[in-house]
Amino acid sequence: MNPEVARGPLDFGTVGIVAVGLYLVALVVVAEIARRSRKDLSPGDHFLAGRELGTLVLFLTLYATAYSGNSLLGYPGRAYRSGFSFIMATGFMMAIVVVFHALVPKLRPAAMAGNYITPGDWLRDRFRGQRGARGLRLWVAGLMSVAMVNFLLAQLKAMGAVTSRVSGEAIPYWVGVVGLAALILFYETRGGMRAVSWTDAAQGILMVLGLAALFAWILDEGGGLAGITQAVAAVRPEAVAVPDAETRANWFSTIVLLGLASVVYPQAIQRIYAARDGRTLRRSMALMTFMPLVTTLVVTLIGIAAIGQVELLPGVESDEVLPEMLVRWGESGTVETVLGVTVFVAALAAIMSTADSCLLSLGSLLACDVLGGAASAEKTTRWGKIAAAVFLVAMIPLALSEEITLWRLIELKLELLIQCVPAFLLALHWSGLTARGALAGILIGLAWGVGLTLAGVPRIYGIHVGVIGLVWNVATAIAVSSLDRTGFPVERVSSDS
Amino acid sequence: MGRRLVRGWLLVAIAVLYGASIPWYRDVDAPLRLLFGLPDWVAVALACYVGVAVLNAVAWLLTEVPDVETGADE
Repeated sequence: MNPEVARGPLDFGTVGIVAVGLYLVALVVVAEIARRSRKDLSPGDHFLAGRELGTLVLFLTLYATAYSGNSLLGYPGRAYRSGFSFIMATGFMMAIVVVFHALVPKLRPAAMAGNYITPGDWLRDRFRGQRGARGLRLWVAGLMSVAMVNFLLAQLKAMGAVTSRVSGEAIPYWVGVVGLAALILFYETRGGMRAVSWTDAAQGILMVLGLAALFAWILDEGGGLAGITQAVAAVRPEAVAVPDAETRANWFSTIVLLGLASVVYPQAIQRIYAARDGRTLRRSMALMTFMPLVTTLVVTLIGIAAIGQVELLPGVESDEVLPEMLVRWGESGTVETVLGVTVFVAALAAIMSTADSCLLSLGSLLACDVLGGAASAEKTTRWGKIAAAVFLVAMIPLALSEEITLWRLIELKLELLIQCVPAFLLALHWSGLTARGALAGILIGLAWGVGLTLAGVPRIYGIHVGVIGLVWNVATAIAVSSLDRTGFPVERVSSDS
Repeated sequence: MGRRLVRGWLLVAIAVLYGASIPWYRDVDAPLRLLFGLPDWVAVALACYVGVAVLNAVAWLLTEVPDVETGADE
């Protein structure tokens, strides 16, 4: 890709560096205000903002967390490679809010009764006293931690790419990765969920406004939707063609994969715990269901419109299609330079907001579920911060390698995470599920999914191997639970965690 | 009871819209036809997703999310 940037009345790189600098200073200030607002040093206050998030902040933090570097760089990149069939992205992002119907109404009251902090608290509560319960908790926490690490890696890569691009390559990729990782660690450690959710709220608003402005420019430049479609058809006819049978099967599989696996993201589950009350949660979900139409659809159409306007390599480089379009926008005038930089900062904000949420969840998972919690609440919070810092530093060398597309990272993470789904959804709706049944299901599903992925078979007739693994997982969980001598209807006991 | 029933039917309708959003019904070799400036199968998929958004929002507003355990099925 051509690294040249605009040299108009306002230099894109200079404006970009100033804007990013101002944004980062604002983050530090918010972290400090959040730290002064904390009520105590407990995990509940640090990891869940004292369980007092209202509708607007909860909605915006759910939004900013769900729409990440993956959405803003990975989805346009995939749309650029696949064409119009990636319109499926709007559907699968919406499917997440649909599948939450199976989780939220039952998990929320249990979480309130048991004072849950992490997803593992549900498992501890639900399978209390059963053989295999500890193993199940450790496997689920381990899988979630691996998925979080993967997610974090994707965000670090995206942060490096965006910072480098917005500064006109003046800030090298590695400086973006290391510098922003350090800043996230600072404000997450200082302000916890309060700082994360407040910054998410501002980041969410910036993102919607910025993408709307960019899309309006692309429509104007491309002669409307019809002009864009015709231009794409002329350059790459297969991008507008009706998808073949395998792509249709993959469309269905991706909706199932994203819809199911994304509801067990630890940071999503923790926002269910952090809501002020059930009504707040219900209203936030009702608003969230429209966000794919103003975010996923827009970035998908930007990626598709780019087919007719820019020529990128088909691999990792195509993940930079959104930054490329932004730079082109910035080249078209002074006002556009400022607007383009604003969208860049919004994208960076969205990526950082997902990274900070990942880091916060990872810290709580490691401190409470893997290490088992410390003697005091204050020590548990400190362990969480230290564990998150260690993981973040360990991720940086991996993020410096730019070999794998963001979309493939998303698929790999979700194929692991989807194996945790029965331990939540099936356990919430079927009292006969035992810890050993759930654990056996996870192991079988995982062996199938990981085995075929390592053997170089990511999909069978378009269906993700992780989705097929989930079918094995559920069948095994039901069979083992039915045979299990401890397969008694489980009495739920409030957790003391 | 009435709210639960309506919510249940909304979720069924959402599942049907998801099924209809995938262009199973179209011939792979069909020529490009535009609808609202998009390939027609894309416009149909988008119409389905707009429908899902509206129905899902209504379903959420009808959903009870209790803060205390009631012992009854939601």
